[in-house]
Amino acid sequence: MCKEIKISLPLYKIACALFFITILSLIRGVSVSYEVGIAIEPAMAILAAAFCSDTYVQEITGRRSEVWHLYPMKKRLRSVGMRLLIQELFLLLLAAAGYGLFFLFQRPLLYGVMHPETFSEIRQFFVYLGAMAVTLAFWSVFANTISCIFRNLWFGMGGSLLLWILTTSAFAQRTFGPRNVFSYTYRNAEDAGDFRWLAGKGICIALCAAMLLLLPTLLKKRG
Amino acid sequence: MSIQINNLTVTFQNKVTAIDHADLEIPTGIFGLLGENGAGKTTLMRVLTTTLAPTEGTVTLDGIQYHENNYEMIQKQIGYLPQEIDLYPGLTVQECLEYMGALAGISKPLCRERIQYYLEKTSLTEHRKKKMKQLSGGMKRRVGLIQALLNEPAFLIIDEPTTGLDPEERIRIRNLLVDFSEKRTVLFSTHVVEDLAATCNQLAVMKKGHFLYSGSVQDLLSNAEGYVWECKIEDPVKARDIEQKYRVSSKQYTEGGIRLRILSRVKPGIDCRPVSVTLEDAYIYLHNY
Repeated sequence: MCKEIKISLPLYKIACALFFITILSLIRGVSVSYEVGIAIEPAMAILAAAFCSDTYVQEITGRRSEVWHLYPMKKRLRSVGMRLLIQELFLLLLAAAGYGLFFLFQRPLLYGVMHPETFSEIRQFFVYLGAMAVTLAFWSVFANTISCIFRNLWFGMGGSLLLWILTTSAFAQRTFGPRNVFSYTYRNAEDAGDFRWLAGKGICIALCAAMLLLLPTLLKKRG
Repeated sequence: MSIQINNLTVTFQNKVTAIDHADLEIPTGIFGLLGENGAGKTTLMRVLTTTLAPTEGTVTLDGIQYHENNYEMIQKQIGYLPQEIDLYPGLTVQECLEYMGALAGISKPLCRERIQYYLEKTSLTEHRKKKMKQLSGGMKRRVGLIQALLNEPAFLIIDEPTTGLDPEERIRIRNLLVDFSEKRTVLFSTHVVEDLAATCNQLAVMKKGHFLYSGSVQDLLSNAEGYVWECKIEDPVKARDIEQKYRVSSKQYTEGGIRLRILSRVKPGIDCRPVSVTLEDAYIYLHNY
């Protein structure tokens, strides 16, 4: 576990991620508390893709893949899975810290204080964490999958960026609605009781599971 | 443990044939693999490590045929050191080897025991707490070799294991490999002919995807017996003429003039004497005659 942490979370990645969330919380304007999650989710998605696109392909760039090829598939999958999990947990912690930084730097209006009967800030935070966990899992697994297919981390990043542009566009909002992978961002944030956006997160989980099921084949054929 | 290669052909998608209908038997012990750049050595090793599937032909490892269904069984018996490998720069030597040992499925206590043994054998014990990025090229190479030895494979494939090592370390590594090859098969690919001369009894020479030679070192040396000549020339212009006329395997400036080793089937028309054949002479003779 300790070695996986050292491999998947080198100092430069941690520093870049901390810098990223700090800058985001300083420059992305929010006025009301429910906008904080909306401001963070798409940005964290692209950070997760950049962060995780080298999860496996670092074995190719480090010319270790031919040695990895000899290891039992179960061990290889476990190792890649651990790396993804470690990175995701780190990013989730970062997302939680980023949520706090927005409140610290921008002091948005607390919607829950204005409407205590319909809106709870604490509940809003935990819903945000849940949505963020799914978003981070989807984008990290997606970037790793594309990188593995093309055996190149830049394809992982580039492919993720293309999907990100598509899914954050007005076209995607109109076409996919609550089934968009960014359904949490594009939900009616003022209505805390509206959970139609969960459909989008469900799709994220399904796609994530499908990509993880594809991983053994990818490691075998493209590893 | 013996490896049998029959009619092996590897053709890439760009239609380049890296190995062309090659046959070879690799017996127990250290087996040398020599050849110029692009001869097909690395491709052969990639086939033997199951990374690359042959286009044609068969390979068997102790009777087990190289086939997707058998790969798992074969992979368990192989250790591999590629020509270039960049081991985890952020991990220490000990951590890196423990990590790779765990991936290979070796239990923790056994893995630690083997790491300690091989670190001692390769004079790396005092460097075990250093990060991989802090090591010299030769030290990294030795760590790479240890990772290939960790699961004590029945078939060890090593590509240029002595690159970057000083003479003393090279001898140490060669001796380690000789000890390791007892009852095991080691395929030792290198450009350093003297490494093979010091370790192998059997070797194969590759050229353009074919095996030019496969057999004992002694027989290869015998092929060039009587065709290696040595002469001493004082005039550099004359020495250059000889170099143009004959295949010269070594040239050395000495106090008494320029000493040349000439490969020729007939006695060169200068004052020279026949000398004993080295593996390097035999290799060059094989490539050119």
